[in-house]
Amino acid sequence: MTPSVSPPASDNLYVWLAILLLALCTVLTRSSFMVLGDKVPLPEGVRRALRYAPAAALVAIVVPDLLPWSLATGPVFDIKIVAAAVAAAVMVLTRSTLAMIFTGMAAFWLLRWLVL
Amino acid sequence: MQNPDNHNKDGAHAGTVRDEQIAAFKEGVRALAPATPAIAVWGMVTGLAMVKVGLSQTLALAMTLLVYAGSAQLTALPLIMVGAPLWLIFAASVVVNLRFVIFSAAFHPFFRHYSVLKRLLFGYFSGDLGFVVFIPRYAEAPVKGTREQIWFFWGLSITNWTIWQVSSIIGIFLGAIIPTEWSLEFAAVLALMAIVVPMATSRPMLASIAAASVVAWLAQPLPLRLGLVIAVVTGVVAGITVEKAQERKHARVGGNS
Repeated sequence: MTPSVSPPASDNLYVWLAILLLALCTVLTRSSFMVLGDKVPLPEGVRRALRYAPAAALVAIVVPDLLPWSLATGPVFDIKIVAAAVAAAVMVLTRSTLAMIFTGMAAFWLLRWLVL
Repeated sequence: MQNPDNHNKDGAHAGTVRDEQIAAFKEGVRALAPATPAIAVWGMVTGLAMVKVGLSQTLALAMTLLVYAGSAQLTALPLIMVGAPLWLIFAASVVVNLRFVIFSAAFHPFFRHYSVLKRLLFGYFSGDLGFVVFIPRYAEAPVKGTREQIWFFWGLSITNWTIWQVSSIIGIFLGAIIPTEWSLEFAAVLALMAIVVPMATSRPMLASIAAASVVAWLAQPLPLRLGLVIAVVTGVVAGITVEKAQERKHARVGGNS
């Protein structure tokens, strides 16, 4: 997530459609087996596979943001990865989301001040 | 299809029924109380992230009220920002929301008395905390779908919804005031990481996360963020592979002893 404001986010119809699809996704996933459970049991194999997908998707979103690279530039070092590592360590130690977000942001600001 | 709330119509018990409902509702509110600061920070970060990515306040308000799913919203925002195709945005948020499919299977026995339309409503309101607080408490209950359980669910879920929406809306309005140089959108990345870290408790899960990370990193130059799809598939395969290997190992050890 770069902070620059880009055209797609201000393209109203596109964003409205995205919002409606996301709303649909909320209701479909959260009520899926509340509705289907009478007819179809959730097989153990599927249940097992589903356990791994959300974490994989979340890191797949986060990683390109922390460690960007492109064919033109090659790997680009970003202080975000250091701040994120500090935050992850805090999360492991404290198990607190609040502590993690606050130290992560503090580390990011400090590093940016040191580097610039 | 019998509805446990049908007892309501029984006039003689109306007073006690109402008391019972209110007590269960309050109990639900109380059970959620310890999570309030976490929900509030999360909601605020999500609200901020939406406007920092460039959504107008109207769009951000529509998103928080309609979607009501923080991690799916935070996942979708970078995709919306690069103008990814709608199917990919939908697919990515379905994957992030797959945990709710498992949760919904756990909720099923409690809500099976209700019509499909009402179950969709239960679905919309049953976020992560609904599951985390409700299921451990009632999973072993001999009768599922009692009045107490349903009202407890509503106490818990409406409180969760209210705290989330209020803090998210505060975030949306703060977003217009806080300068871009603070880079608060980084807080959204941290918030996503905060969900992943506690998940990394077993070896298969760690393998899955590591495999997905490497693939997501390597596949970055692919168009349309297709690396996301490949990373998820790799992560699931890696998780199941390590889990199966572990089971085989345990079976062998068990056989020897």
